Amino acid sequence: MEALWQMEEVKIFPFIEGENVALCAQNSEHAKLYLKWLSNPKVRKYSRNITPHTLEDIKKWFEPEPNQVSEWVVFEVWHKHDKRIIGTGGFSQVDWYNRKANIFLTIGEPDYWNKNIGTEASRLLIEYGFKELNLHKIYAGIFTPNKRSWMVAEKNGFKLEATLKDECYVDGKYVDEYRYYILQDEWLSSNE
Amino acid sequence: MSDELIPVFIKGEKVSLLPINMENVPLYVKWENDPKVRLYGRNAVPLTVEEFKKYFQPTGGRIAKEYHLEIWHNQDKKPIGSAGIFRISWFDGRAYLGLSIGESNYWGQDIGTEVTQLMVEYAFNELNLHKIYAIIAVLNEASWHCAEKNGFQREGLLKEDTFIDGKYVDYYLYSLLKDEWIKANTNI
Repeated sequence: MEALWQMEEVKIFPFIEGENVALCAQNSEHAKLYLKWLSNPKVRKYSRNITPHTLEDIKKWFEPEPNQVSEWVVFEVWHKHDKRIIGTGGFSQVDWYNRKANIFLTIGEPDYWNKNIGTEASRLLIEYGFKELNLHKIYAGIFTPNKRSWMVAEKNGFKLEATLKDECYVDGKYVDEYRYYILQDEWLSSNE
Repeated sequence: MSDELIPVFIKGEKVSLLPINMENVPLYVKWENDPKVRLYGRNAVPLTVEEFKKYFQPTGGRIAKEYHLEIWHNQDKKPIGSAGIFRISWFDGRAYLGLSIGESNYWGQDIGTEVTQLMVEYAFNELNLHKIYAIIAVLNEASWHCAEKNGFQREGLLKEDTFIDGKYVDYYLYSLLKDEWIKANTNI
């Protein structure tokens, strides 16, 4: 029997092709999957989703905002071999005047953690951010126990910019947040 | 719903807590109107599906003053009730806890105690609240047991608080402070 998550490829819209993953335009038909990831205690601890969302909340994200430049650019992460949507990633707080944005990535299926998939998906996002969106600076806020994420950031050339004291309340206590950054010039010169 | 798509928000042993599911609103409405269930729930007027749907409309990213979750029976794989943190005062760090097991054949199985425990942990460890209240009818012994098992203390008596079944009845005001809760949980 075919599982529900095994998507028909016609509903997948690849935008950027990588080796193991592709970044695809989002499809509102996958809203139930998003809901599952957003709710999963293991996943939402790291994506810092503290409150419950309903399916209707998620469907609202897909409502187009006319005549407005979005502060968000979001993709679905498609696992090419398993033919499965496994997460989302993109930029939030896109500041078009100062040309900077916050990068985020959530692999919603924990089975795909620790397999270098996050590193590849982040690399594709960074390349897109600098070469297509023409951003000057990309930054990431990662709370300190989230070792997996700061290792991904460091593998992709991010540098530690600051440690924000007691920035997040996680599992009953305050923890620091690392702020990482990477600049367009530096990235372009080391990736020529 | 296939297993892979069950959006578990908080995982418990017997039950888990899921986001409110609009497709189940008719079920919630059935529970809220059920004379047995609403007896101490202080719900004196009939509720419609439309009213409930409106109640759960997306907030559009605003910080809510209440959060509701569906109680999902892990083994039987179905919703059996709902729980909520409501009247949240973000300044004072306090809120009220409420829950109802809508399917009365699940009463008497300590499910309310587990739901209370999961909600308390969520309120303190994730929402970062300082104090939680529960208002429980003096006659509703099952509910005050599940509050007390979770360390709630009787803080006051609300005399003739609610008019139920032709007469005024008293309610207890229970409360739990975060510090007390942490202390109680480290001693175990």
